[in-house]
Amino acid sequence: MNISIILEHFYLVFMSVLFSVVVGLPLGVLAYLNQTLQKIVLWVVEILQTIPALALLGLIMIIFGAGKLTVIIGLVLYSLLPIVHNTFIGLENVDSGIKEAGKGMGLTKYDRLISVEIPLAFPMIFTGIRIATVTTIGVAVFATSVGGGGLGSIINQGIRTQNMELIIFGTLALMIMAIFFDMLMIWVNGRLVKRSSN
Amino acid sequence: MIRFENVRKKYGDTVILDNLSFNIEPGEFVVLIGPSGCGKTTTLKSINRLITPDQGKIFIDGQDISEVNPVKLRRKIGYVIQQIGLFPNMTIEQNIGIVPKRLKYSKSKIKEITRELMEMVDMSFEDYAHKYPSELSGGQQQRIGVLRALAASPPIVLMDEPFGALDPLTRSTLQDEIVKLHKKLKKTIVFVTHDMNEALDLADKIIFMEKGEIVQMATPDEMLAHPASALIRDFMRKSSSSADSSDLTAADFMKTKFFSVYKKRSIRECTDLMARQHIDSLLIKNDDNTYAGIVTIRAIKKHGKSSGSIGDITPHVNITSNISENAKESFDKLYATDDNYVVVLEDDNTIAGIITKTGMATAMADTLWGDMQ
Amino acid sequence: MSFFNTYGERLIDAIQIHLFYVLSSVFIGFVIALILGIILSRIPRYANIIMPLLSIFQTIPGIVFIGVLFLYLGMIPATVIIALAVYAIFPVLKNTYTGLMDVKPEYIEAAKGCGMSPIQTLLEVELPLATPSIITGLRMSTIYTVSWSVLAAMIGLGGLGEFIYIGIASNNNALILLGAIPAALMAIVLSLLIDGLRRLIVPKGLRSLK
Repeated sequence: MNISIILEHFYLVFMSVLFSVVVGLPLGVLAYLNQTLQKIVLWVVEILQTIPALALLGLIMIIFGAGKLTVIIGLVLYSLLPIVHNTFIGLENVDSGIKEAGKGMGLTKYDRLISVEIPLAFPMIFTGIRIATVTTIGVAVFATSVGGGGLGSIINQGIRTQNMELIIFGTLALMIMAIFFDMLMIWVNGRLVKRSSN
Repeated sequence: MIRFENVRKKYGDTVILDNLSFNIEPGEFVVLIGPSGCGKTTTLKSINRLITPDQGKIFIDGQDISEVNPVKLRRKIGYVIQQIGLFPNMTIEQNIGIVPKRLKYSKSKIKEITRELMEMVDMSFEDYAHKYPSELSGGQQQRIGVLRALAASPPIVLMDEPFGALDPLTRSTLQDEIVKLHKKLKKTIVFVTHDMNEALDLADKIIFMEKGEIVQMATPDEMLAHPASALIRDFMRKSSSSADSSDLTAADFMKTKFFSVYKKRSIRECTDLMARQHIDSLLIKNDDNTYAGIVTIRAIKKHGKSSGSIGDITPHVNITSNISENAKESFDKLYATDDNYVVVLEDDNTIAGIITKTGMATAMADTLWGDMQ
Repeated sequence: MSFFNTYGERLIDAIQIHLFYVLSSVFIGFVIALILGIILSRIPRYANIIMPLLSIFQTIPGIVFIGVLFLYLGMIPATVIIALAVYAIFPVLKNTYTGLMDVKPEYIEAAKGCGMSPIQTLLEVELPLATPSIITGLRMSTIYTVSWSVLAAMIGLGGLGEFIYIGIASNNNALILLGAIPAALMAIVLSLLIDGLRRLIVPKGLRSLK
């Protein structure tokens, strides 16, 4: 039963980060390409982050009802900031000489983006995804409050029943998950950077 | 005034200062010069204890500086660095007043000193005192850097390549100003540079160092007349404005960074290389490394095929010079031709370098007005 | 309108309590972080080990910390304030440390060369140059803390979280909003205030450098 709760937690995190990338990456690119949208996009994702996680989940629950869908939508909104932000910054920071060279070789804006700028910005984007993942592992403890399960349920139960063992089990599982993904993604990023600098 | 006695310093296994002993008289303008890594900066920094020697003693006015509190010591020694290091969070006035403030000068006194010093370098107190360093040009910043070092009227001022990052014009203005300041204030100045012109212009005494040792310590005239080693002669020849231009050869002006390929390289690889390096022609070598000619991007386009090897295209016969040819001849050739550069060849016909038109112009400016970097 | 008649007074109470938790814990966390950051920047060799360890600690969710402290300390405001202060430490600590480490060596060398003592160098050169980074850390800490303060209600200690918890339990749309909107506004207002503070205390000479 404990394993299944860990897996449930992992499932919530995985789905959230996945959709967050699907939504956040294009938003970051949009912010990079369009000056007007840039301010709006960056402002909205920052505002989203100022709403307390629990409140955000509660609000979404009203529309979508209690359950995993609500949790995933909430976590996606919550983890947009690092992904959008890093995508935008990563693209902005691509060496202007390289951008110029792409232009000079007659690549279209779209072509430059796909074949030069996004690949070069990718380590930065990936760092955003890493931050989102680690944060989401922690924030997902609120899932249980809106019927989404996960490790938060064990911790809440532990606090309610004053059961230290349960609290520690839940916390350790969370910490290990967070550290594991953090280190794994740092390692992957190291490989990415190494490959692209060759 | 300043005396080094058998000073040694090592970093790991590398000897930086090797048994260094010398004496600097009060009011002298001493320039430390030598190739990179010769220990000149280490020598300078051990005077204000930014670096501590492993062995030996340094005396200032007869006192062993290892016995003086470094903070107190430094307040009596002005210090100017190449990166300028004006504190960006402080105004010009605050920057100049740093040491006097710590020596508990009164506010009005500090203001007076600041005004006086700024007038000496023709910067008006009213216009500049309340500005921040980021609002000043590099030359103005370094003027303030020098004033900051002088503010508490220390008897000794250390300068670590203070003008190294400035453009040539600003540099020479500041050199003139420092000479004026030295004459007026009679400070003992220890100045590090790698520019022999600067050394010859400024110094009362030049200390030429190599590998942590003093090779020669002499007045500029003496050093010009009797350089003690081939390296010193080389230093003076490179930077001396009086260098005899008829001695200069193609080798003195050529760029050794160029792109050459063997004939068997594929055309595709060659175009990639050209695109990456932003160049429009490549030097072609025969298998025995001898020069075969050049291929331009236009010739490749005309050839029309991107398959095959670069050797399939007949190379253009570019003008060449021998490496020991007089530079003037190379320039004449370059001047007379439509080619963009002269290929400089070694005696065995391998490629030594190229002389481009821009390279020629900067090289000439270098020899005329010193190191343009 | 009757909704506000019912909840108006409680809302003002809740905002005050929430704000009290935020300000006191951010203040405590900030002071501790600043001191720790300065100490760590003096011993970079150890900091390279200590910082990652602290970031591991940071992965413990706030809910756990409040929960465990609650078991030991009971239902008192100190429980919330201590837990939140601990979380407020990390962003400020990290930014203080990196801000100080990023001060260019030439400024430190110049300061030494001018005969500044290590303390003077720290107070007059290094810390002023690190303020932009430190304030960014303070801003992050504050926004997080507003969000985490919702947890006070979990152990019955009021704040805006009360509305949110009751709202979720009773599926009451309006109540959740009553908690969420003021909390978000509080985070936004506080971060604007900190931006104002930044304008006030970041040394003038640094601004044009950005």
